[in-house]
Amino acid sequence: MHQPIPHEEAASAVKLGRAIVVTSGKGGVGKTTTTANLGTALAQRGASVALVDADVGLRNLDIVLGLESRVKFHVLDVLEGKASLDDALVRDKHSETLVLLAAAQSREKDEVDTEQMRALIQSLRERYDYVLIDCPAGIELGFRNAVVGADEAIVVCTPEVSAVRDVDRVVGLLGNRFKPQLIINRLRPQLVKKGKMLSVEDVNAILRLPLLGVIADEPEIIITTNKGEPLALRREGETASAYHAIAARVAGEDVPAPAPEVKESFMEKLGTIFGGRRA
Amino acid sequence: MAGRRIVVTSGKGGVGKTTTTANLGAALAKRGLRVVLVDADIGLRNLDLVLGLEKRIVFDLVEVAEGRCQLRQALIKDKRFESLAILPAAQTRDKDAITESQFESIVAQAAEAADYVLIDCPAGIEAGFRNAVAGATEAIVVTTPEVSAIRDADRVVGKLNDRRLPMRLIVNRLRPEMVRTGDMLSVEDVCEILAIELLGIVPDDSEIIDTTNRGEPIVLDAAARLGVIYDKIARRLEGEMVPFTSFDAQGFFGKLFGSLKAG
Amino acid sequence: MSLLRGRGHGLEVHLAGWDFDAAIAELTARLSERPEFYRGTRATVRYGETPLDAEQLEALRGVLAAAGIELTGVELPSAGEELARRRALRPKRELKLSDAARSLVADFAGARSDIAERRKRGESSVRRVNVAAAATSAAALQVAPPPPPGTLYHVGTLRGGQALHHAGNIVVVGDANPGTELVATGDIVVFGRLLGVAHAGAQGDSDAKVYALHLQATQLRIATCIALDEERSYETSEPEVAFVRDGRITIAPFSKAAEVAG
Repeated sequence: MHQPIPHEEAASAVKLGRAIVVTSGKGGVGKTTTTANLGTALAQRGASVALVDADVGLRNLDIVLGLESRVKFHVLDVLEGKASLDDALVRDKHSETLVLLAAAQSREKDEVDTEQMRALIQSLRERYDYVLIDCPAGIELGFRNAVVGADEAIVVCTPEVSAVRDVDRVVGLLGNRFKPQLIINRLRPQLVKKGKMLSVEDVNAILRLPLLGVIADEPEIIITTNKGEPLALRREGETASAYHAIAARVAGEDVPAPAPEVKESFMEKLGTIFGGRRA
Repeated sequence: MAGRRIVVTSGKGGVGKTTTTANLGAALAKRGLRVVLVDADIGLRNLDLVLGLEKRIVFDLVEVAEGRCQLRQALIKDKRFESLAILPAAQTRDKDAITESQFESIVAQAAEAADYVLIDCPAGIEAGFRNAVAGATEAIVVTTPEVSAIRDADRVVGKLNDRRLPMRLIVNRLRPEMVRTGDMLSVEDVCEILAIELLGIVPDDSEIIDTTNRGEPIVLDAAARLGVIYDKIARRLEGEMVPFTSFDAQGFFGKLFGSLKAG
Repeated sequence: MSLLRGRGHGLEVHLAGWDFDAAIAELTARLSERPEFYRGTRATVRYGETPLDAEQLEALRGVLAAAGIELTGVELPSAGEELARRRALRPKRELKLSDAARSLVADFAGARSDIAERRKRGESSVRRVNVAAAATSAAALQVAPPPPPGTLYHVGTLRGGQALHHAGNIVVVGDANPGTELVATGDIVVFGRLLGVAHAGAQGDSDAKVYALHLQATQLRIATCIALDEERSYETSEPEVAFVRDGRITIAPFSKAAEVAG
């Protein structure tokens, strides 16, 4: 019989990996693609990475990685004790140190217990350098469950007014525990030049977040998503390089920013006047 | 006779539900029909934004449900169209602020004085989706020709079938050149997987990102390609048999699915 | 508080905290102690909570003139003091904040049709006061006085979907992003960018004001007046205040607030 997940073991001897939730509020901005590519890029650098699909009922991370036929057990099976974590984790086809914990397709988000989810993420952190959690769209229980185990957040936004509005909402909900970093996805520089699309500055004028990276839109991304081969597997190409640079930044390297620096926000300026009290 | 109540849904987020609701609603209103658009995405409202009406919100859906104002006070008339109004969602609340039956009765009330009530459904299949569907008697399922979107749409179709709602399909953001090279699923593929009647094919077009950002329905631009397409969808909704336009350079008019079409 | 103060250029009569008649009596007594001492000097008067009416001012002038003192000016209180004065003047109400603070007591439909009328006539719904650029001085940006009790004081930027509702005044040190809602029965002060919806005087107080370093609200409401300002550019760079005048919301540069608030 399989054991259910043990609750938080004494982790004093174990260095915990980093748990990062990838979220946005708005659907369709590229959270899943980002999670898959960032995870791949980190694994290519030699880190051990666990990807968790928190989108119960509408799972997609497995498709994007091309692993859908290899998934035997999912998150709920593990939480309910029907399978061990080892049985459920699927090794990636391309990156040795990357594993996937898939979501359940035919279940509902309210079947996941928040505390159990936290414990699950904790277990993964004990075993992997990075745990990336692919968050579902929305701000309800699914979102809360995805966030609960994380200690860092990446928000993904496209250069569209509705995406900016939703991301702002999510940043507010993430609260003071997180200092989210921003990835702007699907930018089309030619359209920005023509004034037909929001620029990086337009987006960050409202969001005021540290910029982790900017990914330009290209058809390759859809193709590779459909084929289940993340672009970050490639050595060359603009998008692949962008993801590798993001992975390097996440790992703490000082890689030069891809876009103009965000102007110091009013709050940051104010921080100095008020002795460091911050938003 | 009360108007039709149609929920615009998809499962996957970001495939174009809100853009479709706004533009289809505008196309119907442009033809003189009385249209009410209802934003059911409480907490992440966007319908007002894509129509450029965000500054005019005084009351919202939740306040109507809680009885703090009348429906007519909350409806915002779009000045560009004689007969288009929207009921915005609440932004500072979340999806359990309203029950299915409250939503249903608000939509029914809106339908009393309209020809069409289009409901912009939130992403997902949870409470927000259930509320939105509760108000509807028909559905439009929107998907893009991508595997993950189709998978989610399929889930939604299943749920709608459970409720016996008649439904039709809009395939959004088609890129014919990618279909030709085999890098994107064709409309035929999508229809075969989902097995529901096709209502419209909307090609990918960067123009709509710009008009959405500016809060302008694309049907306002008589020359815009997508404006023509949304108008055709509106006509089909009204029962007219409008053929799908062919994309083929050679102008090959095969049977309906014999060539790459849009419309 | 001392009634008469010597300053480099002359005298100041400080009426704050003084009952007027008592002040006149005191002033008369003081001046008569040394009848010729002040002859030829000038004086200004600073009043406290209650401004003087014409009659009182005349009486004061007379007392000073009798001692050879010329009354040259009346000093208006600073904007902050003016604010405090007005607040003191408002009738005390039993304020209970419920969710109803968010919905108006009055009928917004009337306000909306008013806006529609204006639009039809081609007017904007916001009247901007055309004030010649204020002389820049350090005083142009006055730091808000310490908040009186009953003020909700929030440090940090508010994100879309967040709302602050308060019976009293609201002060936000930071930005209020689009999609935020500030509802106060009193005033609203945003020490940052105001981009969301702000509703001051939410229970009907049309003396309430909205201040911001960068006033670019999605929608402004004061008591039952509502304004949607669609013509403003994002380049406004000076602090502004919104208030109600003649039943309409008016925006003026903050440096001129005291003069135009009326």
